[in-house]
Amino acid sequence: MASRRQRYWDLRAAGNFIGGGTGAGLIITAALAAAMGAPFRLALALGLGFVAAGLSLVWLEIGKPWRALNVFFHPRTSWMTREGIVAGGLVPLGLFAVATGSTAAAIVVALLAAGFLFCQARILRAARGIPAWRQAEIVPLILATGLAEGSGVYLIAGAHSLRWLAFALLAGLLREAAWLAYRAGLAGTAAAARSLAVFDAAPARLARGAQLAGLGLIALALATGALGVTFPGVTPWGAAVLAWAGGALAALAGWGVKALLIARAAFTRTAAIPMVPTRGGGGSRARQTSQP
Amino acid sequence: MTRYVMVADLRRCVGCQTCTAACKEGNATPPGVQWRRVLDLEAGTYPDVNRVFVPVGCQHCANPPCMEVCPSTATGQRADGIVTIDYDLCIGCSYCIMACPYDARSLVDRTEYAFGEAATAAEAARADRRTIGVATKCTFCAGRIDAGTARGLVPGQDPEATPLCVNSCISGALSFGDIEDPTGPIATLLAENQWFRMHESEGTEPGFYYIWDKGKL
Amino acid sequence: MSTPAAREIRNVPSYCYNCVAGPDLMTVRVENGVATRIEPCHAAATIHPGLGRVCVKAFGLVQKTYNPHRVLAPMKRTNPRKGRDEDPGFVAISWDEALDTIAARLRDIRARGLLDDAGLPRVAATFGHGGTPQSYMGTFPAFLSAWGAIDYSFGSGQGVKCVHSEHLYGEFWHRGFTVAADTVHTRYIISCGTNVEVSGGVCAVRRHADARIRGVKRVQVEPHLSPTGACSAEWVPIKPKTDPAFLLALVHALLFEHERRALDLPFLRERTASPYLIGPDGYYLRDPTSFKPLLWDEATGAPVPFDTPGARPALEGRFTIAEAVTRGPDDEVRPQHNVAARTAFTAMADAVQGYTPDWAGGICDIPAETIRRIAAEFLENACIGETIEIDGETLPFRPVAVTLGKTVNNGWGAYECCWARTMLATLVGALEVPGGTLGTTVRLNRPHENRLKSVQPGEDGFMVAHFNSTGRKDWLAVPSGRNAHRTLVPIVGNSPWAQALGPTHLAWMFSSDAPKEWPAPPLPEIWFAFRTNPAISFWDTAEIGRAMARMPFIVAFAYTFDETNHMADILLPDATDLESTQLIRVGGTKFVEQHWAHHGVALRAPAVAPQGEARDFTWISTELARRAGLLERYNAALNRGAAGAALKGEGYDFSLAPEQAHDVDTIWNAVCQAATAELSHGAEVHDLDWFKRNGHYVVPFKREDWYLYPTMVRLGLRFELPYQERLLRVGVELGRRLHEQGIHWWDHQLDEYVAIPQWHDVPERWVQSIRDMGGDPDDYPLWGITTKVMPYTTGNNAGIPLMHEVSANLRNHGAVVINATTAASLGIATGDWVEVRSPIGATRGRAAVVQGCRPDTVVIPGQFEHWKTPFAKDLAFPSLNTVVPLSLALTDATGSGADVVRVALRKVAAPAEAGAA
Repeated sequence: MASRRQRYWDLRAAGNFIGGGTGAGLIITAALAAAMGAPFRLALALGLGFVAAGLSLVWLEIGKPWRALNVFFHPRTSWMTREGIVAGGLVPLGLFAVATGSTAAAIVVALLAAGFLFCQARILRAARGIPAWRQAEIVPLILATGLAEGSGVYLIAGAHSLRWLAFALLAGLLREAAWLAYRAGLAGTAAAARSLAVFDAAPARLARGAQLAGLGLIALALATGALGVTFPGVTPWGAAVLAWAGGALAALAGWGVKALLIARAAFTRTAAIPMVPTRGGGGSRARQTSQP
Repeated sequence: MTRYVMVADLRRCVGCQTCTAACKEGNATPPGVQWRRVLDLEAGTYPDVNRVFVPVGCQHCANPPCMEVCPSTATGQRADGIVTIDYDLCIGCSYCIMACPYDARSLVDRTEYAFGEAATAAEAARADRRTIGVATKCTFCAGRIDAGTARGLVPGQDPEATPLCVNSCISGALSFGDIEDPTGPIATLLAENQWFRMHESEGTEPGFYYIWDKGKL
Repeated sequence: MSTPAAREIRNVPSYCYNCVAGPDLMTVRVENGVATRIEPCHAAATIHPGLGRVCVKAFGLVQKTYNPHRVLAPMKRTNPRKGRDEDPGFVAISWDEALDTIAARLRDIRARGLLDDAGLPRVAATFGHGGTPQSYMGTFPAFLSAWGAIDYSFGSGQGVKCVHSEHLYGEFWHRGFTVAADTVHTRYIISCGTNVEVSGGVCAVRRHADARIRGVKRVQVEPHLSPTGACSAEWVPIKPKTDPAFLLALVHALLFEHERRALDLPFLRERTASPYLIGPDGYYLRDPTSFKPLLWDEATGAPVPFDTPGARPALEGRFTIAEAVTRGPDDEVRPQHNVAARTAFTAMADAVQGYTPDWAGGICDIPAETIRRIAAEFLENACIGETIEIDGETLPFRPVAVTLGKTVNNGWGAYECCWARTMLATLVGALEVPGGTLGTTVRLNRPHENRLKSVQPGEDGFMVAHFNSTGRKDWLAVPSGRNAHRTLVPIVGNSPWAQALGPTHLAWMFSSDAPKEWPAPPLPEIWFAFRTNPAISFWDTAEIGRAMARMPFIVAFAYTFDETNHMADILLPDATDLESTQLIRVGGTKFVEQHWAHHGVALRAPAVAPQGEARDFTWISTELARRAGLLERYNAALNRGAAGAALKGEGYDFSLAPEQAHDVDTIWNAVCQAATAELSHGAEVHDLDWFKRNGHYVVPFKREDWYLYPTMVRLGLRFELPYQERLLRVGVELGRRLHEQGIHWWDHQLDEYVAIPQWHDVPERWVQSIRDMGGDPDDYPLWGITTKVMPYTTGNNAGIPLMHEVSANLRNHGAVVINATTAASLGIATGDWVEVRSPIGATRGRAAVVQGCRPDTVVIPGQFEHWKTPFAKDLAFPSLNTVVPLSLALTDATGSGADVVRVALRKVAAPAEAGAA
């Protein structure tokens, strides 16, 4: 048994990807809202809060927290350094945008947030020791789920009008597609078998269920509003609840998947040897082999 | 130029873990941390079964993924190929551990002792707080190599300049030396035998060669 | 790395002899007075076949030294009640009180006589693992010698659970107490369960690795894929305890499926008793005047005594002999007139005629073609007729070998296996020659340091064999020891090691359930125990524990608390491996596979001061001798060589003054000087200080002396093979003696005394034992066997965390190994808790599901289930010893059992609670 579940990045590290993803998605949605004249300052502040919370959790996890500033030393190749540098611009500029309500600032912040989220995705992709993270399809997945989570939270912290329901639904569908592509990718990677097993087990199915339920509720809320359909017993206040519930599930589902991805489904590569050694003469037992 | 590499002859290895123990003791690694260990792998279906013992550890890659991802430049690479960790720079983020395809790195957050409650005299004598909270891994016993070469000794040939695992290997499975020396023992060993390196498709260019058969005629 | 300001570094030479595969040389690195690591002894690389290296176990010695659970002061028991559930109430006492307490009892015993009313020694002693404690007990052997009669009958597993039957038969047939392939020269090895890559030791592991590179083919015949099987060219998964059929079929194949001239006929004719003529009564036909066994001389066409010069012996054939005598049991001389005779070789062929590979294949679950092919490969590689130069001497070259392992060469079936593997070698002349099967050492004969010197001419053209008498006058009707070795096991003889090599489990069994025909053996009044833990390492460990609890006074040399010294009255903390001084012999040929081109001595110098109040065993021994009034006898024993070298010899005298109590360094200084004087014939004398710097001293050992063959040729002797006429006679005599006493409970064992071993249903004995225990064999469908991993082959490493940590890389550590198909049928996955049960008990552990194991077999590595030893007691590992019974019915004629039992297997929810059976 050469493959082990990694035990260094726990829920605190997962929290960074959760906070970073939801936060970036929320910031991007807030900037879009700013550009369209919708409420955005609360959402922007909340998004920054998520990002900051995530980074704080990481700070709590590293072995030498008082050397944290060393994280900036390797922009040439390290996505973690780049993530830090972007965050270094994102947070102050974001605070400025919240304080001043500047739309232009909000848009720049959103670009930084997108960059931040991209760095997070690339951090995982560069982790060659964990096949489930190394999987190429993880980049669109991280991007899409960040957007789906953030746009879902925006329905609660910003506005839940038709436009934003549609945006959240679109982000959610993108996430669906990204998830399916990621799973298909895992299934084709022999080294990811144990990770796949985690994603087939009950906790993952629960998260997936939440994801689909969230999509459903958002779609229902959108349909209710868009078609002007009045369901018996569904008041405008009820439609808002559908939107909020859908948004919350969209976020929670993403958090659940990321928590599993980081803390439970991350197995190291096995040792793989392509040839079995000969042991003495009289007929070689050498043969090609690879470990499950 | 010089590049130090390790060669493990899988025909010889018996899985005894002598190298595992020699490394642990020589480098005073804490409980649970093994810079060198030997895997026990099986392939086939009864009764046509193979069981293979595979020494693993840091492969001292020419393209180390750990160095690529390290945010603090704590992970570095010497001119002779040895991949290093500067314990004073490392922030203990464990990213390098995630990046290593060979599961070669470890990190411990607090000091632990073999017998639990307190350090033995030997553990107290070797305690090094700089290794707490940072990534650690096989160093190819760089300290021994440097001290040895300074005295004109040859790593891989002279025991004092050679990694402790190689010195301890009772079956002769482990060999060490400069692969760039064209007539040296490592180059000869690799020229005369069939070998592979692990996870070559990752593009890491590992400095750890596994021999599985003698050379083709 | 940390760099304290001033660091004093010493590299202290030492040896490791914690297991029988040693001794090997090592260096202890000491920094500022603290031992920090073990390293090889690189200076020995040119003389040690393992390049001066030591195995994984030695690297645990630093942790062993600084183990916080060590007993570091003498202790005495305050709770008089003994038992697993009784707290001994150990309290620390002074050395004076401890030693005076023991000495007072010793003096009291001496005043009353060393033997009790049953004629048994009042003092008993048990040491573990194959004599290796002797290399850690300083001058204690001198104390034991000074004392006199001691009962070594109580075993801890060695002697019955080891390669025991082969110890006795191997030493009998070719001075091979232990046996190895001549790996350096061989080309083909048939290994029935020998686990070289685990327990062969540093020298063997290196040599076999070199052999693999060279292209040597080893066929590992074993029910599971051990590391040795993994490192072999071929694995044959044989059904447990069917190896006799396999090996007999190989003998059959060589005799009946290949041309006779393909065998080594000159070797058979001249170096074995193959041409000896056998009469109708089964005994050698002998010359009526000289009583020499006859052979048929083809030159004259007549029977002649075997040593007739110029005779051309007929290897096989049936003849009519006009006049001869046979010597039957109890010196019955039977005249033989015109009797039908056949040669021993023909008798052998007749006896194995039915053992075809097809027959064996069904019993062993091995395809008959595989058996045939192996026989053919063996023959092909034998190079009959070829020679090789060894250090200038020309010797036969026969690069094929057969070796056996535990559970094959002990217990029922072992006689057949040992005989067959020796005959396979003999048929191709590969016994005791380069490339072949070699004995490595002797323990029943002397001198131990040179087995060749133990070869003396005996009767009938064979080596002398010092059997215990089975004659009417001299048979020891009343046992002299509690395992009755001289009474029950003639072949074990009566040399100093013989008792410990007797049926040591009988001592435990008889302590509660003695045969009515003998006086009930009182328990010994004092039992010394050192480096032994029978409560873990024997069978039916619960019963052993109860037996030990009945011992009135136990002195345990204690490392930590353990399951055996839990029953002790006094604990004495001896200074351990790195803390004490001793000089031992190294090199030459030793136990497992240690053929050196040198031999000599090596020092274990103290690397660090003893922890706490621990004291050097030599000091303890001297103090005990002094306080017990034995000082002069003790010093005399030392002067005679009890510490490894006689202190006086030709041209040197380092004798110790007899009336003084000498300190540790004085004693070993004398031994160092005497040993080097002896080895160098006076040319070089080195003292203790020299050894503390240099570690070892060796002189050349002739490689020719690895082989017994030249000695046999030089003395004109034959190997006592194939026909076991002596054993046949001894068996009948032993039967008569026992029946004269009305003893019939050893009758099954008498069945083993046959002249040519025959197959009997060996596995069925273990099935029957289930019925004897009141069980239904169908409820116990699987074979339970054991194995080892190198970190735990011996040395009581169970309490050393480093060993546990590194062993976790091995798939079977602390587990129950189960075949994948069997596991699937029972719903068991790797990591699940399972229970292995026999009628006497159950053990639980985590499953390791593998492909490399027979579906009808489960394997439990190691010996665990500790309940007192610190660290080990928290491992929750299973142990086969819990479920294997102590059984007379499963004891063979040499007094051995085997680690095999029929078991049931099931998945359980959790490990058993502590203390549950």
